[in-house]
Amino acid sequence: MRNIVMPGDIVAQMPMQLENAYVDEGKTYSKILGMYEEGAKLIIPLEGAWNPRIDDLVVGVVVSAKNFVYEVDLSSFMRSILIGGKFDTRTYKPGEVIEAIVKDVEDRRTIILDRPRTLYGGSLLNVKAVKIPRIIGKNDTMIGQIANATKCTIVVGKNGNIWLKGGDIALATYAIKKVENEAHTSGLTEKIKVMLENSSK
Amino acid sequence: MASKANKPELIVNGKRLDGRDFGDLRSLTIEASVLRNADGSAYLEWGNNKVLAAVFGPREATPKHMQDPAKAIVKCRYAMAPFSSIGEHGRTGPNRRAMEISKVTQEAFENTIMLTDFPGSEIDIFIEILQSDGGTRAAGITAASVALASAGIHMKDLIYAVSVGKIGEHLVLDLNMIEDNYSDSDMPMAFSPKDEKVLLLQMDGDFSKEEVARAMRMGLDAGKVISKVQKDALLAVYSKAAAGQKQENGA
Repeated sequence: MRNIVMPGDIVAQMPMQLENAYVDEGKTYSKILGMYEEGAKLIIPLEGAWNPRIDDLVVGVVVSAKNFVYEVDLSSFMRSILIGGKFDTRTYKPGEVIEAIVKDVEDRRTIILDRPRTLYGGSLLNVKAVKIPRIIGKNDTMIGQIANATKCTIVVGKNGNIWLKGGDIALATYAIKKVENEAHTSGLTEKIKVMLENSSK
Repeated sequence: MASKANKPELIVNGKRLDGRDFGDLRSLTIEASVLRNADGSAYLEWGNNKVLAAVFGPREATPKHMQDPAKAIVKCRYAMAPFSSIGEHGRTGPNRRAMEISKVTQEAFENTIMLTDFPGSEIDIFIEILQSDGGTRAAGITAASVALASAGIHMKDLIYAVSVGKIGEHLVLDLNMIEDNYSDSDMPMAFSPKDEKVLLLQMDGDFSKEEVARAMRMGLDAGKVISKVQKDALLAVYSKAAAGQKQENGA
């Protein structure tokens, strides 16, 4: 059972440890606009900023390089840096698009990146970060079928940046935007499948 | 401006000038997520008031010396459009009145937003009054609350604001411009509906202790209607997206 909850809506009559919820006087309230799944005890945000977690794959643009310390724009309110040097002899220029893994989040203000890889060419697409889990789908089903149908190479960053290269980028962009706009509806994988089949004919 | 000399009859045959009862709200409609470039937005029409609210953030706080490493900072800008009002009332620009309203709105939201969830960031609230007819600060807070929710900002509650005034011995809800100018006193207030906490309380004129209690009760009762409109506005965004997709499938 899914229903939409607003900030201040009661989700449980007892205190519960829930993400995107808070406890006040022994009751649990939602603190965001989201969907509450009663079975899974989960509040899925409908809107909002990316909440970085360790091991998240992100896509960003290098904005500055100084002494092997690179600042990367992840379109987040937090600063994110990549520390190179030592064993890593590669260098990155400002303007380059990279993918990386979140190694650490310091004081919830600075994101430390690790295991970078430069993404050459291609184009960058920005979507709402809360819609990324839906764009990826369960076991990559959604993004997998989009990549198969359009023959694109796609890298999806948890921060909301998506990098696309080769194939039918216009169709892939359209499909991703469609998933973003209709992320809260059910049976979406099937709909996108039909849409992609119709477009490729 | 308002003076005792040219004061009109505000209550005729037990009804107000626009035909409302003492406890009636003006018609209220809200539309959420109307602006594409903002993270969250809302458009509100409350009687003749027309208000646009936009929210940006959380984003990196600037200037940097204003950053708080422990929590987010809230910035609020209330502004009236040059064409928004009749006569001298509420001139445009950063004047004393606009700065005061920006400040009280900011403080109402500082107590609602979960600031520690976004350390070092800032949340910008812009309230633009396109057309004013009394009670714009209440309308601004009500609209900004919807805009914040549609931006996905963590909040304790979806707050609203409303004003109550006194005309003669009657307490009246939701004053319009004429009533605001000639009433004996008025009191805008903002509430958190979840636990009925007061987030804004200003008073112009005088109320007795008993009248303040009655006025707050009126505001809280009216809030049930306002809260419902706010929630419906947010729900409509998602049912609209679902309806649009059905049409596409049918075609």
